[in-house]
Amino acid sequence: MVSAELISTLKNLNRSDKFQIMQILISELAEQEIDLIRSDQDYPVWSPYDAVEAANTMLKVLKTAKNQDNA
Amino acid sequence: MPNKQLYSFVSTDLSLGEASFRPSLPLNLVHQQNSVTVSGLLDTGASVNVIPYLAGIELGYIWEQQTTSLNLTGNLSQYEARVVLIQAIVGEFKPVKLVFTWTQATHVPIILGQVNFFMEFDVCFYRSACQFSVSSPHSVS
Repeated sequence: MVSAELISTLKNLNRSDKFQIMQILISELAEQEIDLIRSDQDYPVWSPYDAVEAANTMLKVLKTAKNQDNA
Repeated sequence: MPNKQLYSFVSTDLSLGEASFRPSLPLNLVHQQNSVTVSGLLDTGASVNVIPYLAGIELGYIWEQQTTSLNLTGNLSQYEARVVLIQAIVGEFKPVKLVFTWTQATHVPIILGQVNFFMEFDVCFYRSACQFSVSSPHSVS
């Protein structure tokens, strides 16, 4: 939890110091990113990519429904 | 009718930091008398829209009455899937008819894919700012 005191201190910094703090934080975040993906865990990808046949079937159902709506 | 609406990326787990942010779009799904507010993952790599089993049940769909079966790819290939048509309301845009793959998987997010979410809406991603905009080419006056 970020304290109000810290936020107040940061707000009072001059422009140059604010940039420096920002660069430090961005570097920290970038380093942490490397640790996010662990080799001993599964990361499911649900994206149904290349489901072309399913997509075409769905488009036919949609077209039929729209035609019925317009009839 | 607005031409464009701006949304923020949403963090799935703040402890994971910057990598946890997802383009998640709030929308209302309507079927007959049932309406639910959900978040859909904008997935440009997905061929189709996907709705998990329990969300379909909540909307009042009956599995046995959906007669068009589908075969999905990837992690979803192991689950049975059917086609459902759902009225969707995004922000203040006019309602659109979205076609979904209703999967028996329960732990999958609602996925908004090429057929037909991205055929109905144009989306611009501004990942560095953790924002995205949605516009409807069909609502331009």
